[in-house]
Parts: sequence; structure tokens; C-alpha cells
Amino acid sequence: MLSLDFLDDVRRMNKRQLYYQVLNFGMIVSSALMIWKGLMVITGSESPIVVVLSMEPAFHRGDLLFLTNRVEDPIRVGEIVVFRIEGREIPIVHRVLKIHEKQNGHIKFLTKGDNNAVDDRGLYKQGQHWLEKKDVVGRARGFVPYIGIVTILMNDYPKFKYAVLFLLGLFVLVHRE
Amino acid sequence: MAAAAVQGGRSGGSGGCSGAGGASNCGTGSGRSGLLDKRQGLTVLPRLIVNSWPQVICPPQPPKVLELQWKIDDKPVKIDKWDGSAVKNSLDDSAKKVLLEKYKYVENFGLIDGRLTICTISCFFAIVALIWDYMHPFPESKPVLALCVISYFVMMGILTIYTSYKEKSIFLVAHRKDPTGMDPDDIWQLSSSLKRFDDKYTLKLTFISGRTKQQREAEFTKSIAKFFDHSGTLVMDAYEPEISRLHDSLAIERKIK
Repeated sequence: MLSLDFLDDVRRMNKRQLYYQVLNFGMIVSSALMIWKGLMVITGSESPIVVVLSMEPAFHRGDLLFLTNRVEDPIRVGEIVVFRIEGREIPIVHRVLKIHEKQNGHIKFLTKGDNNAVDDRGLYKQGQHWLEKKDVVGRARGFVPYIGIVTILMNDYPKFKYAVLFLLGLFVLVHRE
Repeated sequence: MAAAAVQGGRSGGSGGCSGAGGASNCGTGSGRSGLLDKRQGLTVLPRLIVNSWPQVICPPQPPKVLELQWKIDDKPVKIDKWDGSAVKNSLDDSAKKVLLEKYKYVENFGLIDGRLTICTISCFFAIVALIWDYMHPFPESKPVLALCVISYFVMMGILTIYTSYKEKSIFLVAHRKDPTGMDPDDIWQLSSSLKRFDDKYTLKLTFISGRTKQQREAEFTKSIAKFFDHSGTLVMDAYEPEISRLHDSLAIERKIK
């Protein structure tokens, strides 16, 4: 017979205390979620923190980038932008090479990765030669090195991610504060 | 024939229902129903129905192999003695148990319900934000998101104020109903504190008289080593007299007044 001693605390709880444990777990998740959404609102970008895959030597694989996407800031040559190509899910972090700008502020720009030999036209959609403002996820404003490696690991090994999340969730639910 | 009928009525085994499967002690008093003996005839049928009524009310017990009782209220409390919060929680719970079971007070869940409501509303805002953002992708959902985020952090602020000033460290509010039914209830409040990495546990009992609205308190500060043995089991024989002494010291004052 399994002796689940670590569940002893839970078994002694009445309904209200059990509900509070669940709420505790919910509040931790909600706090993380609200901080993320809050950052989205403040920076104006839909993914304010991204993990760089490769832009050596400026950024290395696993760096965390902090983005903003304010309408007032114009995109200029030499800036590092994060954009998403239509039909692809993963955003790309590259530098702006050329910009064509109209009088009304409408722009078209070309990008190239620092570590690549050619510009990104090979990556764009079939027939697309320029990127527009609507493809931009955000502009890089700051970065934290190396921290993103955990995210990359968890994405490469999804079982690891689920195991970590499950254990964390179990710990919060069973442990009384 | 009549003698045989009486004997038939009493012949069904003594004590215990013979329901499907396991034994249990439901309806010990009148559970004298045995197997229905067809030889007895119609005269004994009403009596057997009356006797077997408790067996019908008592549901059949699950087979012993799968019996995994969830509630362990009777097991002695064993915790990790080096974990400060587990120690405090177990002492609080045992004090609560003593007050509610020994003195038969009724617990008032008002404070706890308030905290649960605030937390539920906060989670509700988070869920609304999540669903709205999923249905209307980002740039359009900005105002709703902003509203939800601000409301969530406001609720967190309210929760902090509530736990610090209203709930303080009170973990039990119990009512003692007035036996005559005329006066409002007397209220007993228990609050405790145990500093981090410290071994001195302070338990404070507050009595608020229903009639005069006067408040009296008593407290004791003892080392937790007095209540736990070296394996981390809470020794109720050492803890319960302390609680009772605290309670009686307040109750006696009441009688003198």
C-alpha cells in the first residue's frame, strides 16, 4: 500500500483550505500572466521578451531581448528589429539594412542577419521583397545574456517542460504557505 | 407457531449488518437483521422489515482491498520539525480542533470567506484578460487588457491590506451560542505567531462578550519543543491542557463579573 505521507497535510484540510490551495496556485499563475500582459500593454509589442536564436556577434543564442513597439518611434537603418514573416510562427531578430519611406510615413525595409552573408530576401515569402511595419513585432531596446537557454531547452524537450510545470504545480498545491 | 416466529425474529446474528461485502458497525443497536428465513411465514415479515431498515440506510462498504481513506483526522499529526510554517500550521490546527471539539463552539467563516472572495475576484480578472486576448488578438485588446491588469493589481493591494489589518494573524473565530437564546453570541478569537527560525510560539485567545461587548485576552508563549517529540509528532497530551488553561482563565473571569 502506498504511504503518501506528503499528502497528509492536504488530507487534513477542510473544503475552504483546499479551495484556498487551488486559489493560491491560480494566483501565482495569474500574477505571472498579468505581469506579461502588463508588459505587452506598456511596450505596445505583442511579445515584449524574445529569445534570440542567432545574431552573432551582437547577440548569442539564448539571450533575452526586451522589445518596444511604439508607433511614435520610427524605424531607422542599423536598428535591430524583431519581425514575423507571414506564414511563419517564429519571429526573427535581424538588423535593418535599407528603408524606403513615403511622405505619409509608410515604410518598406530590408533586413539582414549580422552573421549571414546575404540579406533576408531568401527568407521572405514568395514574391515578397520588402517588409512593412505590420510585420514588426518590436524593436530591441535592451538584453539580458544567457537567461533564455532555459526556454530553448524547454522548447526542444517538451517533456522536460511538462515535467517541470507538473512538479511546480504539485508543489504549490500540496504545500501550505 | 407463535414461539417459533419470535425465535425466528431474534435468530438473525447479533450486532453488525450483513450487507454486501465488508463488516461495519452501522446501526449497532437495532441491526439484528439476519437472513430472511422463509420458514417463518408472513407474521414475522413486518418485524424483519423494521429490523433490517438500518441495514438499508447504511450503504454497502467498499471492499477492504481498495479502501484508501482520504480523511485522516484521527491520525496523530506528524510534520517535519524543522519546517517553521508546518509547525505553526499544525499547532494552529490543533488549537482550533480543541476549541471546536472540546467546547463545542461554532466556527464563523466570515474572515476566511472574505479572503477567498478577494482571491477569486483577482483570478477572475486574470481569466477574463486571458480569454479576451485570445479571442481578439493583441492590438485590439489593449484597452481591455489594461483594465484587467490594473484591476488585478488593485485587488492584490486590497488583499494585502485585508490580510494585514483586518485578518491580522487570526485563524479562528468561534461563536458560543447563548444557552438561553436571548443574548447575542460570545465570540472567541485565536491568533498566533511564530517568528522565522525561532522556537517560541505565541498563542493569543481573545474573548468578546456578546452582551457587554467587552474584550479580554490571554496568551501564552512557549517553546515548540514542549509540544513536539523528536520525530515531529505533535503530542496532544502536552498541548491540550495549555489551551484548556488559557480558555478557562478567560471563562472564569467572565463568571466572576
